[in-house]
Amino acid sequence: MTAILDLLREMVPLSLVSFGGGTAIIAQLESIAVRQHGWMTAQEFLHAFAVTRVAPGPGTTLSTLIGWKVAGLSGALAASLAIYAPSTFLCYAVFRWSNGHRHSRWYQTLQRALAPVGVGLVAAGVLSLFRVAGGGLVAPLIACLVLLILELRPRTGILPMLALGAGLSVLWHLMP
Amino acid sequence: MDAPPEPTPARLLLTCLKIGSLSFGGGLSGWLYREFVLRTRWITDDEFATTLTLAQILPGANVVNLVACLGERLAGPRGAFLCTLGFILPPVVSVVLLAEILDHVATAPWIDAALAGLAYAALGLLLQICWRGVLRFRRTPWQIAACLAIFASVALAHFSVLTAVLCIAPLSVLIAARVRP
Repeated sequence: MTAILDLLREMVPLSLVSFGGGTAIIAQLESIAVRQHGWMTAQEFLHAFAVTRVAPGPGTTLSTLIGWKVAGLSGALAASLAIYAPSTFLCYAVFRWSNGHRHSRWYQTLQRALAPVGVGLVAAGVLSLFRVAGGGLVAPLIACLVLLILELRPRTGILPMLALGAGLSVLWHLMP
Repeated sequence: MDAPPEPTPARLLLTCLKIGSLSFGGGLSGWLYREFVLRTRWITDDEFATTLTLAQILPGANVVNLVACLGERLAGPRGAFLCTLGFILPPVVSVVLLAEILDHVATAPWIDAALAGLAYAALGLLLQICWRGVLRFRRTPWQIAACLAIFASVALAHFSVLTAVLCIAPLSVLIAARVRP
């Protein structure tokens, strides 16, 4: 029980200051789980991080794994709730308020102003992910190929594209 | 083109469960973009990008914030709750299962290569958001400039997202208020 309380005490404030999203709190999670509480070793933390890269969904599931390690199922649930609920509720409240003004002129102006900001942020995220992903030339090649196919054949499903990426990457790896 | 299906709460839940379960390799906003903007046309391009900005400047996992806002926009509080739940539940379960499985299985290099390939393909989904954005903004030089300014300050100069947005978004709003669409 104390372990669950510790998890909540660490994760709830972290949720509310996690500006920049999941990747921004990785260092903080490491400091909490490895150095302050000794919930996992540095090696286990790295392993957990690798798992969240592969699993579907947002990378913040790293906190789920920390909870799982600390207190099993209830720990995993408590940690997930603590990391997602506060920030999501805050964003929800702000959006709900602003959405009430959706048809007003200033909101339309705001939308024209912020749409390019949103796209620029995605582009920046893509570049930083390319840096993290490594893999040299094969990473942008596969990503651009997927973009090309999706644009030329808009009805293509995403799963075949993921399979294509995995297949090409294995082939590339097997080449001498 | 077929008429887009109505965004009923049940359909929203199913859509988010699907993305939550299948989005191996990440690229989640790319999945959301394809489902909510390109495929069903529930949300417009500009609305998606604006909501994405809000989701990114507030604390929290960006895509979870985004999905809660999309749900609210389409079906009110119930939509927000169902979308968020459907989106988070599968990843939370699968990450624990995967951690347990990988703990007991020796990994081979080709598995690592396949997993990396998933991530590269998922980056292609995100590239599509950028590509469509550039197409939309190309006749509006100040929008292209705003886009580039954010990209350069975050990706090249390594300012935090919050700092970059707080500096550039007000300028962008000033210009948008002065220039007629």
